Amino acid sequence: MTGTKTTVREYEGDMLVEAADVVAEDVVALTLVDPDGDPLPAWTPGAHVDLIMEGGLVRQYSLCSSPGDSRTIRLGILRAPESRGGSAYVHEKLSVGSVVRVRGPRNHFPLVASPRYIFIGGGIGITPILPMVAEAEASGADWHLYYGGRARSSMGFVDELAQYGGKVTLVPQDEVGMLDLATVLGDPRDDTLVYVCGPEGLLSAVEAKCGADWPAGALHLERFAAKEIEAPAEGERSFELELAASGVTLTVPPDKSIFDVILDAGISVLGSCHEGICGTCEQIVLEGEVDHRDSVLSASERAANDAMMVCVSRCTSDRLVLDL
Amino acid sequence: MSSPRRAFSAAFPSDCWYALARSGDVDQEPLGLRALGLPVVLFRAADGSAVALEDRCAHRAYPLSAGVVVDGGLRCGLCGFVYDADGQCVSVPTQPRVPFGAKVASYPVQERDGLVWVWLGEPGRARLARVPELPWLDDEAWAGVGGSSVVAAGYLLLHENFADVTQVPFVAPEIAPSVIAVAPPLDVVVTETTVTLRREFAPAPLPAWQADLLGAGDAAFETLQEGYFLSPAAWVDRWDVTGADGTTARLRFTHLVTPLDEGLSQLHWQVDRDFAVGDDGADDLMLEMFGDYYDRVLVAMETAQEVLDVDGPGPEVNVAADVAALKVREIVLAMLATESPAVITTRRARL
Repeated sequence: MTGTKTTVREYEGDMLVEAADVVAEDVVALTLVDPDGDPLPAWTPGAHVDLIMEGGLVRQYSLCSSPGDSRTIRLGILRAPESRGGSAYVHEKLSVGSVVRVRGPRNHFPLVASPRYIFIGGGIGITPILPMVAEAEASGADWHLYYGGRARSSMGFVDELAQYGGKVTLVPQDEVGMLDLATVLGDPRDDTLVYVCGPEGLLSAVEAKCGADWPAGALHLERFAAKEIEAPAEGERSFELELAASGVTLTVPPDKSIFDVILDAGISVLGSCHEGICGTCEQIVLEGEVDHRDSVLSASERAANDAMMVCVSRCTSDRLVLDL
Repeated sequence: MSSPRRAFSAAFPSDCWYALARSGDVDQEPLGLRALGLPVVLFRAADGSAVALEDRCAHRAYPLSAGVVVDGGLRCGLCGFVYDADGQCVSVPTQPRVPFGAKVASYPVQERDGLVWVWLGEPGRARLARVPELPWLDDEAWAGVGGSSVVAAGYLLLHENFADVTQVPFVAPEIAPSVIAVAPPLDVVVTETTVTLRREFAPAPLPAWQADLLGAGDAAFETLQEGYFLSPAAWVDRWDVTGADGTTARLRFTHLVTPLDEGLSQLHWQVDRDFAVGDDGADDLMLEMFGDYYDRVLVAMETAQEVLDVDGPGPEVNVAADVAALKVREIVLAMLATESPAVITTRRARL
């Protein structure tokens, strides 16, 4: 029997724009359906998709509809003043009947079950928060949403949020000033999770506020900095590799994988696909900053920085120590 | 000893629709079962709708499934308390007033494609999740044979078996496409919540059983094989063969999985075809052949579970083709982590 070549990729498909509604100044809500009316992939609150536009432009947008709806998904897209083409394309070229390529969904911002939540949405950062508050409401959690924006006219989906009454506080900056994070967050509590999405200024302010006082794991935030798994433009670098259990120190040159360096040193290591998809060569990381390039580890597992696939992943620090 | 890995494989997502029974098995006779470690009773109310309640009377420890369906609900066979479709006690025999707090849990139900799907998780979230669409199960254009088994193996072992298409030729060489000598490329497509695998076989003669049913002789057919992990409750395989004249004969293998308790799973399987429909001989042949196949698979899964139980999890060597199974684990782990943060185990803890 010859070997089976295995490829793994994310779902990708053409979707039809069923509705394109202007929901606030410079904000359009796109409702997408399968062209044949087939069910769309399931997702959970916090998920986003890639829109693949003309010329290969790829941008990430959060899903802001209901995960229970199998026929449509909705994205809320702000025309960014400094748009490099993504949001301008959506606003200028997409209308009812347009077809757009969609990849995903994937979720790096999942809503973890909790008795109590504080949600903070800044501007278009409200989009992933919309299905989150729906889920928090459905599960009977105690929650509050603070939704900040430049001006009321720039804040989309306010009508939909009206159904939650006093659980939603609108904070238009031109009327009431900036979100007062001290008041919004209150005293740290161990029964509360904080979810925030918005501009970088808001994210780092919340991070700074939560960092010291709140329990680890309480703060969840999303930055739209999707990790591209590509070799760095400046080329691969060399780094030192220490195998703690074997008691040897090796050098990984730019043109060789960690796996091959280990093997060449005569140390037994399991490996199988050499493409970062099977997970066989997984090793425990004791020290060093891993540059994950595999398709096995989830976002949180990558962040934990305690395991890696040595066939494709590398190291961004000068020294990597493995428990091998 | 309970290792983190074991804890993971034994834990099951609650926020998921599970197919607890076939519609035909839910009637005026209450049906008691266990699912996700909970006692559940299913019955059909006077208006024809399927109802799922906690299978334990609020009065004393006694299963409601040992009672009878009456006007207005389900009556306990021991004390006579009557519960409506919401689990609320509506009458007791010994006093006019219903005692405060006399209530049992009621679980959201959706009946679709001839199956009774029940939501045993956080009730409010039921409407945010979807029931898999399996229209061929209840469609006259398709003929199906099927069976049900309780397996002494974790539900993930079952999914990992379904995800591994390369096992079929070894477990049942007579069933698999006869062209396995040249295994075609395997294309695995993932989304946040699903895994699909697909491979296409070049034209080749069909396995003998299928050639007989189609009267195809030695004629060559292209085969398209797809597998879908739809949720922890459902794995579906699609197996389409297309002849030189362009006509396609379709098979659907539906696997409905429910964790019953730690290490114990329910499997409802059904094999549907859109050819030889109404041919009783074909039904008999397929029931015998696939019944035997699933028996063999389940025995193998029980054996694997036994190894895990006795010797604990050990290192596993994965091949590239295992990527689908590994993605299934990843999705299930993400579901568990969002339901209960305490279950989160780091990658390292699971190694």
